[in-house]
Amino acid sequence: MEAHSTLRLERSGMLTLSDMAKYPFIPEAAEYIRRLDFKIENLLEDDYAPILSRAEKRIIDALTTNPPKVGYNPREYGEDIEIISFPVAIVLVSALANENVKRRYALAEAKRAYELLREENWEKVIEVARRFGWRIRAANERIGSVKFDFALNFIDYLRNISSFHEKDWKLVNRPVLKGEVYLSKQDVARLLQEEIQRYIEAKIDPKVRSILPEEILKHLERLRQTCAEKIRESPVEDISSLNSIGVVGDAFPPCIRQLYEAAQSGRHISHIGRFTLTSFLIKVGMDKNMIVDLFRKSADFNERMTRYQIEHIAGERGSGTKYTPPKCDTLQTHGLCPGANDLCKKIKHPLAYYLRSARSLKKKFRG
Amino acid sequence: MDNQTFIREMFSEFYNKNIDRVEIPKSIESREFGFTLFKESTMIRHKGFMRAEDLKEFIKKIVPSNVYYSSAYYSMPEAKMDEKGWLGSDLFFDIDADHIPTECNKQHDMWICRVCGLKGRGVPPTICPRCGNLGFDEKGNIIGYRQETWPCEICLETTRMETIKLIDILTSDLGFSISEIRCAFSGHRGYHVQIEIDEVLKLDSMARKEIIDYVTGTGIDARFHGLEEISHSGARILVGPGLHDFGWRGRIARGTYEFLLKATAKDLRGLGLRKEVVENLLANRDMILESWKASGPWNMIKGLGLRGWEKIVQRGIQFQSAKVDTVVTVDIHRLIRLPGTLHGKTGLLKISFPASEIETFDPLKEAVAFKGGEARVYVEESPEFRIGEEVFGPFKEQTVNLPISAAVFLACKDAGKVISYNV
Ligand code: SF4
Ligand SMILES: [Zn+2]
Ligand SMILES: [Zn+2]
Repeated sequence: MEAHSTLRLERSGMLTLSDMAKYPFIPEAAEYIRRLDFKIENLLEDDYAPILSRAEKRIIDALTTNPPKVGYNPREYGEDIEIISFPVAIVLVSALANENVKRRYALAEAKRAYELLREENWEKVIEVARRFGWRIRAANERIGSVKFDFALNFIDYLRNISSFHEKDWKLVNRPVLKGEVYLSKQDVARLLQEEIQRYIEAKIDPKVRSILPEEILKHLERLRQTCAEKIRESPVEDISSLNSIGVVGDAFPPCIRQLYEAAQSGRHISHIGRFTLTSFLIKVGMDKNMIVDLFRKSADFNERMTRYQIEHIAGERGSGTKYTPPKCDTLQTHGLCPGANDLCKKIKHPLAYYLRSARSLKKKFRG
Repeated sequence: MDNQTFIREMFSEFYNKNIDRVEIPKSIESREFGFTLFKESTMIRHKGFMRAEDLKEFIKKIVPSNVYYSSAYYSMPEAKMDEKGWLGSDLFFDIDADHIPTECNKQHDMWICRVCGLKGRGVPPTICPRCGNLGFDEKGNIIGYRQETWPCEICLETTRMETIKLIDILTSDLGFSISEIRCAFSGHRGYHVQIEIDEVLKLDSMARKEIIDYVTGTGIDARFHGLEEISHSGARILVGPGLHDFGWRGRIARGTYEFLLKATAKDLRGLGLRKEVVENLLANRDMILESWKASGPWNMIKGLGLRGWEKIVQRGIQFQSAKVDTVVTVDIHRLIRLPGTLHGKTGLLKISFPASEIETFDPLKEAVAFKGGEARVYVEESPEFRIGEEVFGPFKEQTVNLPISAAVFLACKDAGKVISYNV
């Protein structure tokens, strides 16, 4: 998706200085700073102290609010400070070189943009969206009892919903016509939040540390200390809720994770897929009723059959054989391996993946 | 003579004379190729070819029983899977009778349990009724069932209908133009649909899953498509989508229309509807039909509320959804059969054609690879089948003279033994 994380400078629409202060990631803002001839060394000069302090505030906001959000207060900070402090904060976050800080900061900035975008008129929203290459237009369409202001190319839509689990974001639950998804302003702002977050994450590059002046690094050290206790674990994901029952959902290999999510959303799973998921979940100690519930959403769900199969796989029926999930080889030939990650390369069986990964996760929680 | 030798000879001759029928995929240098052979059971994978000529020479030399290529593009197609460097993947759909239970599969499809040898007709069971075989041994190895399926005309027609629905969704809803969509007959029991435009290449598995859910109507909640209870001058009334709405709104209405047009009392009871409601639905069929011209039947059946309608709508969705194999589309490393090559289970060609011809395309005619020649074949058992314009069988334990194409077909299906032939 690289092609889309680069911003385009479009001459068509005009965005003002105050827009740049609200959305400092747009190319016009970078252009503006270039014209000011600002360099990172300048930060050490007294004149620039407010910028450094605003940049730090951005980061502190991100790390100390929950859900993370950078504040916006045009009365407190002038437009110049707001615009220049953003790339400075990016440099500082990069130098902190911490995955958790990076994700949290990107999310907090994206959230700030989201809340501002919600309040904008449609022209502004479209202008910002087009900076990310979105194929979007004003629609003004009434479908049933709902009015939709925007039509967005469905591929741009799909690129930005992958972390959403709610039913109403599914493409199939949206009005789609001729390759466009009809959306409200609220929805467009929310999707832009995702795009902005990815964009900012991609901007954060730990390599910049080496080019920073000594003074700034010292400053950074102080920042790190202030935040040390406040750098919280990132928000929990869906599958982690299994952790409370002793099954380490976060340790599932990609293949199982994919099947699990498919089952959760009621998608059709092949026989091999079902067998793999069920035998895996039994092996890692998941309760049989929970497994039954997992399959409940599928279109052809039949409680009796499902229970029968689970009991069979658990070795409580028939020959009493307890079944083990297929090994990676088999899963690969049946298209159930979504592609090996680093840990996958070291193992040959999804259960081996789980054991290793669960062990190291537990260590991390304790340590 | 054993069948395999015969088939291999025929395949070899075909490739020697018709190698230019093999279709060279776009960006051949970035694709991975795979081949199965007649003797060895393992697949030759991770092959790459820089030029069309190299691929053609290779096929002529090894005479594969099946030829596959990756829907994906790689920077190093010959490297190990995790080092290939994925660059993108065509958007690919597989519609196969194996995944669509037709009525006739009970007549012409057979399964044999690999553990106890039990035979049955139709789709294999999840658990063998005799020995409890689940399709796997305790180590998770696949033992499953040997399946003998048949490309019958009804099954093929069913897959064509599903393909037509898919193409309609891809064009009307998702906005692809018909000329961007390639169709192919798989050479066995279904169709392939492929989109190669730049825009789709980078879609990840998650995005493809959403597309699959869209075309199969999976996860629809009709309340997002206008089925709701509103208050209307003081009363609560039900409203819902109309036949001419766009997207799934309209499809839901049309599917519901279709279902209610033919639904029997048994169908309706099967949904868990109360007896009075079922009676009301059946008694008012004409009125329901008429109602679609206005605001639909949503508020006119006594005792039928939002919950009940949701169940009916789910059945309606089944009429409108395209039954594609969900696994194939989501797999961005998939190997797919190369158009213009022979299918090892039939001796028919995978043959591609523009999507606009889907209504009229005759697979059993266009895919015939062998013209002329004759063979004497002892046929163990075979249902009726058509090759080109001619219909053969059914046969049972008899020796017959057949054109080479029909003989290759029966040999590939292992339904008979070739005694002698001349080409
Ligand atoms: S390599 Fe093995 S464990 Fe990893 S995703 Fe693939 S099948 Fe699962
Ligand atoms: Zn058996
Ligand atoms: Zn059939």
